[in-house]
Amino acid sequence: MSAKYAILGLVIERPGYGYQLAQRLEERFGSSAFAPSGVYSALDQLSRDELVRAAGEIGPGPARRAAPRMIYEATDEGVDHFEAWMLGSSPAPPLRDELHMKIALCRPRNVQPLIDMVYGQELACLARLRDLKQLSHHELAGSEQEWSRLMRTLARDAEIASWKARIEWLQNARELLERLLEESRVLDTRGGPTPTARPRANGRLGRLHAL
Amino acid sequence: MDAPLLTLEAVSKSYWRGPHELRVLTELSLEMGAGEFHVVWGKPGAGKTTLLKIAAGLETCDRGSVRFAGIDLACIPEAEHARLMREQIAWIRRGGPSSDLPILDYVALPLLPTFGHRRAYATARDAMARVGIGECVQRRWKSLSDGERALVGIARGVARSPSLLLVDDPTTNLGLREREQLAALLRDLADSGVGVLMTVPDMKEMMSAHQIATLSGGRLLAPPEIAPHAPPPERPENVIAFPGARRRG
Repeated sequence: MSAKYAILGLVIERPGYGYQLAQRLEERFGSSAFAPSGVYSALDQLSRDELVRAAGEIGPGPARRAAPRMIYEATDEGVDHFEAWMLGSSPAPPLRDELHMKIALCRPRNVQPLIDMVYGQELACLARLRDLKQLSHHELAGSEQEWSRLMRTLARDAEIASWKARIEWLQNARELLERLLEESRVLDTRGGPTPTARPRANGRLGRLHAL
Repeated sequence: MDAPLLTLEAVSKSYWRGPHELRVLTELSLEMGAGEFHVVWGKPGAGKTTLLKIAAGLETCDRGSVRFAGIDLACIPEAEHARLMREQIAWIRRGGPSSDLPILDYVALPLLPTFGHRRAYATARDAMARVGIGECVQRRWKSLSDGERALVGIARGVARSPSLLLVDDPTTNLGLREREQLAALLRDLADSGVGVLMTVPDMKEMMSAHQIATLSGGRLLAPPEIAPHAPPPERPENVIAFPGARRRG
């Protein structure tokens, strides 16, 4: 998702300059939700579309060689555009991702690398939960209005539910892949088909294709 | 350097259903210190209760070792383990008294042999006040809400001022606000120096923890912060596999 509407919403809440907005974006959504460079391209696009405008500059700060920093504020059109976005429908996220496809199309010799890949994704999901946990502590420490805090908690809960569903699916996939790999090794030691052999249509490893 | 409060090294555990082996924990390792709050999430049947029982020394593992403050729980006499369970390790599980006692009696009961009547009841009152159910002392189990019952369990645990709290799915059946209150209470207990290892059925409770992990397929998986003593994993085996010696069991 583009950072455009997130930046516009933050500017409507309070004008700010690029670096400040990048920090606020990270505080609000976590470090990995948006790339920091996306803030500047979003501001460029919002400026071109006349949804935000320059509201002045502040000095370069302690680093005197740096250029003055431009402060952005929302235009009336920007506020209207944001309200329209807020009331518009939000598309459901895509169900299939690359890992789904890899598992659906994997061959027996791919099982071990896929297990490692699934582990990697589980760790990545847990790292996102860890980031959310740190955001939660930041929110608890903040002195924001209760209403704003609750809205952010609700948004955070949606993210947790999404990561939980993802982790559960990854765990199921990993457990099944590990079981199939182990069974294939047992078959191998008994002189059955090897993991690199072409699976029979109804063989245990053939079931990978039905995931 | 002081030994970590709790160390599980390469713990494996299986149950047998006839000829079929059901592997519950596979070379699972975990280390936590005093004042740390670890939360482990897992699906039903993932082995969360088994993990806590093994951490408490209430159940033996097939392979690996469990140390509390450097003491190998498999190598101490039963009387010494019973003393640790009275004084240092609190295992808190769901469930209540078999008879409908006043709650104060229920909390004070395990303290009587060690503390005597007067001190046991004073300590039980303090523990109930500490967890926020001071007004429930004369109420009975059947009259309590699920949230209050969970807090009674915590009060029974903290009454003995343990070093380690092992809390088994305390948030099941609780509403959102009660779950948050319970998690905040356990975080406060950890901040006061108690090591807390809690298993949960929902990930929202993980948000109060210092460190989080998931349990699945017998393996504990955690983002790097949960294993500060281990090198960052390139492959998950680095997190979960430690060399371990075979112990009793």
